[in-house]
Amino acid sequence: MMEKIMLQNYFKQSVSALEKKLNQKVTGRRRFVYEMIKYGSRIFNNDRILGLTNAFVPYEIFDSMNISGMFIEYLGALISLLDNSEMFIKEAENMGYSTDNCSYHRAGIGLIMKGLITEPEILVGSSIPCDGSVKTLKRIGEFYNKDVFIINVPIDASESSLDYLVKQYENLIDYIEDKTGNKLDEHKLKKSIEYNNQAREYMLETYELCKNVPSPSNSRDFNNFIIFMTTRGTKEGVEIAKIYRDELHERINNGISGMADEKHRLLWFQNRIQFKNNVVNHLEEQYGAKIVFDELNQIWWEPMNEDDPLRSYAKQWINCPAGGTAERRIKHLTQLVKDYKIDGVINSGHLGCRQSLGESVIIKNALQKMGIPVVELNIDCVDKRNYSPGQLHTRIEAFMEMLENAKN
Amino acid sequence: MCSYTPLELIYAAGFQPYRIEGHAREVNNSDSYTHANMCQVVRSTIDIAAEGGYDFLDGIIFVNSCDAMRRLHDVWKNFFPSKFIHLIDLPKGDIDPIRQAYLREEFQRLKKALEKQASKKIQYDDIKKAVDTYKESRKLFHQMNSLRLSAPPSISGCEIMQLISEFYSSDPILWNERVRTLIYEKNHVNSNEKINKNGKPRVLLSGSPLYNVDFVSLVENCGLSVVYEDICTGSKFFDLNVRTSEDILNSLSEAYLNKSPCARMMKIEERIANIYDAAKKYNVDGMIHHTLKFCDTYLLDIPRLKEIMGKNGLSVLFLETDGRLGSFDQMKTRLEAFNEMLENKKWSEL
Repeated sequence: MMEKIMLQNYFKQSVSALEKKLNQKVTGRRRFVYEMIKYGSRIFNNDRILGLTNAFVPYEIFDSMNISGMFIEYLGALISLLDNSEMFIKEAENMGYSTDNCSYHRAGIGLIMKGLITEPEILVGSSIPCDGSVKTLKRIGEFYNKDVFIINVPIDASESSLDYLVKQYENLIDYIEDKTGNKLDEHKLKKSIEYNNQAREYMLETYELCKNVPSPSNSRDFNNFIIFMTTRGTKEGVEIAKIYRDELHERINNGISGMADEKHRLLWFQNRIQFKNNVVNHLEEQYGAKIVFDELNQIWWEPMNEDDPLRSYAKQWINCPAGGTAERRIKHLTQLVKDYKIDGVINSGHLGCRQSLGESVIIKNALQKMGIPVVELNIDCVDKRNYSPGQLHTRIEAFMEMLENAKN
Repeated sequence: MCSYTPLELIYAAGFQPYRIEGHAREVNNSDSYTHANMCQVVRSTIDIAAEGGYDFLDGIIFVNSCDAMRRLHDVWKNFFPSKFIHLIDLPKGDIDPIRQAYLREEFQRLKKALEKQASKKIQYDDIKKAVDTYKESRKLFHQMNSLRLSAPPSISGCEIMQLISEFYSSDPILWNERVRTLIYEKNHVNSNEKINKNGKPRVLLSGSPLYNVDFVSLVENCGLSVVYEDICTGSKFFDLNVRTSEDILNSLSEAYLNKSPCARMMKIEERIANIYDAAKKYNVDGMIHHTLKFCDTYLLDIPRLKEIMGKNGLSVLFLETDGRLGSFDQMKTRLEAFNEMLENKKWSEL
């Protein structure tokens, strides 16, 4: 099939191009993208069982059972990035999926229904971040005539809620074992905690460096870095984090800022725009405004306990700011604004993301109380059919005026 | 707000349960509190709350029934601080002992919160009494609903929806009395009156929460008889059976988790099976599946429903509205065409 060959070629060419670049010079971004492309190429790998999930699941359990975890939103983002989402989104819409449903999921469904990925052996949906992703997996499960294992992540992080989540992880392990015959490698799971803790330390140091004014990072260094969660519990994850840390240290030592003239420090809330767009360039070139931090990249958990890996992962996900109530997310967000000396916040306002849109006004109000202007782009981050650069620039212009006024 | 709220605990605490229904008019106030891409139920509820329309309530209990409802809880907590706000964390997916135990704990947490609010200890007998009262309501509702089994039905869809709406704001004891009287009256109605209600095509209504009696009225005015509502605000609301035991919170969690699932519970096979059971029982000619704009969980069921319903021969009309009366009116032509199609089908089968 032509589309599949094209996609496979994209992965091959990207890996090869990045290997060449990495041979010339190793940067955090290059290494991160390289590992993420390798991660993505799992969808063609017939040698290892594929486990399809939504975003917020403990991938370390999959890895420790020799399963390649892959989340549906990655697929949606990927084809949008390739400027190829329209065909797949239309495929889903022709099947009856509404244009109001999240396009990450519609694009992912279209890709799968066209038979572009290896058939997953197991499907696992987490109740966070959203209902739509679980339901999308249900529809995909029906396509493959397979069940979906649902993880209910409790809203509150009490001890009994943690017990409940741990029990579900234990059941997940039994389920995977039952469906695939793959056993849990407990040593590997324990080791994943060690890697996670190391990666966490490096990333904390890296992010600490980003608090400098001007920040040594640029607006693209950590674009889509949320995907790092899939690799965090591996040796490669630790290496990526260390390279970033060293690189930013070096930039600071050499007096290099992420961009020439950092006038405004921005925080990006929710997902970035996946298809080719000029928002970031426009912000930097027109206004000297830099994205210093992405809300989704934050580290919200404490160091984890190697002797109790399942409880550690349960603690991590039960406290995820994008899960639970808005109160938790605001608490983290306001702290990020203070820590990173943020002047303004950009909320992509991804259309179709009910859980995020529903709290957008509350978040805007909370930030405005701190004197921080917020702009909601209200853009579909995957489906570019309604993308209008002109409209977006007008919004950004008004926002920048607000930001200048607030600063003055 | 959600049909998974254990009314029995609220009643046992000495409070009168009141189900928030929002409205079907244009929404004026919601955008200052949440995004416009939320469903009418959420937006109209905020609309009323913003104007103080729910100030008479002593408190509000939410269920994280969907992302929009979870966010409605957040909006409420932020902008309309009530005396009492509680969020129940309802598990989704297949029922297993772990999930049931978790929901039991959630009900225990609600019980404690209600006790604090009511300044009284809720005893086993209080809950048992409430369970019995609501059991009687459900039994009476089913009796009343069985009047729709006849052809033509002895009670219209509008009347039923009106009655259900009254239930959401009534003391169940008084409502039970009223329904008993109504059943008696309906059973003794003049036979000529019955005959005058012709043999219209019988339809089942499924889909997103729909409080508006006017929508059902529109369907019936287009020549169709609504004989069952597979919606959490219609007949399905009463499909719940509490089997009391010594651990009454466990009985409640078992009953609520096992009730006929909505789309949010991610059990479409069971949902479809229940639709077919009801369609068979009520001798249905067709189904109207109505989704509210931005109602993700129901919207995402549509492709599967289309696939299955197509194979099984039940004629289905899929409608999507923004939940407002204006958008209902736009549906008139499609409803009339559906009626015509069902009529033709009936004739061709004779």
